Amino acid sequence: MNKIVLTSIFLTASIWADHGHNHAMEMEAHSHEGHLHDTLVDGKALEVDAVRFDNFMAGLTDSQVAIVSVNGMVCDFCARGIEKTFKKDKAVTKIDVDLNRGKVLIAYGSSTTIDFDDIKKKILANGQNATDLQILTI
Amino acid sequence: MPSVPVHANIPPMGIFLKCLLIFFVITLEARPISYSGGSTLMFMSDNMQDSIYYHYSPSYKFSIGIEGVKDQIFNKDLSYLRLTYLLDRKNTKHSQRNLYFQSGVSSAGLDTHFFGIHGDWETRRVFVGFGFKEVFNDFHDFTEKFIQTGFAPYLGDYGDLHTWIMMKSKHNTLTGDWNTYPALKFFKGNFLAEVGYDSQADWDIHLMYRF
Repeated sequence: MNKIVLTSIFLTASIWADHGHNHAMEMEAHSHEGHLHDTLVDGKALEVDAVRFDNFMAGLTDSQVAIVSVNGMVCDFCARGIEKTFKKDKAVTKIDVDLNRGKVLIAYGSSTTIDFDDIKKKILANGQNATDLQILTI
Repeated sequence: MPSVPVHANIPPMGIFLKCLLIFFVITLEARPISYSGGSTLMFMSDNMQDSIYYHYSPSYKFSIGIEGVKDQIFNKDLSYLRLTYLLDRKNTKHSQRNLYFQSGVSSAGLDTHFFGIHGDWETRRVFVGFGFKEVFNDFHDFTEKFIQTGFAPYLGDYGDLHTWIMMKSKHNTLTGDWNTYPALKFFKGNFLAEVGYDSQADWDIHLMYRF
């Protein structure tokens, strides 16, 4: 009986997760029509998840987007502090975490001066290390 | 459950179950330190004891906390002042490695305390961890150690439900035996739940909320 309960819990979790993935794949099929976000103006490759990036950019105008590469961001539960820390910053209008690629996307107003050292401190306060910064202006 | 004096003769199975329970408490604290300024509330309950543990992390390097324990075997209420310190951390693009020092002093007196280390290494897909702990009290000192490993059957995105399938093995000087058993860990957002099962200790449920 106990084994049945244990197995049921696992199967329920797996089905829930699979449902989420199928939904993401459907969105990906639509996300690239007319949208190319592969290369920055300076020629650097933009290593972000296309679907997450499109969703993040939706509705943003007159903004700057900081794309921060982060080392050690290996689980959702440990990345929660990053989101909470940046949300306390009034200059930040939106934030998202891309676990698969180890990126944090942060939107600022167009007049904000983005300070990589400040970003590094905030990431380190969560126990991870920011290693690179790319900035998009839209 | 009848009241059992602390110095009473404890049946072997009682000792075994208590050790197993203590082991559960140790191994389930996979994230003993939060982000700077973060708090964590843990609740653990099974047929042996209820425990509530709150800790605050002034920095990502250490946490301080208090734990209240309702011991069902010895019919005792205990409280601990706890400190956990991050000795070492290595972040890479796809992994994180940690080594922690942990300690606790009971309100019953300085003679009742514990200290130890535990470490882990994880990627988004694989987890391995170990721990070693010395426990001192007024009825039986003992040492315990554990290893655990696990994998994520799928890689969820940020905000999804995440699932880990774990296997744990532990050794306690009171029993002298190694016990190996499965566990499942789920987390979504700020909530984490872990369910372990052993045929002799029955279910063990651990809940965690971080804020």
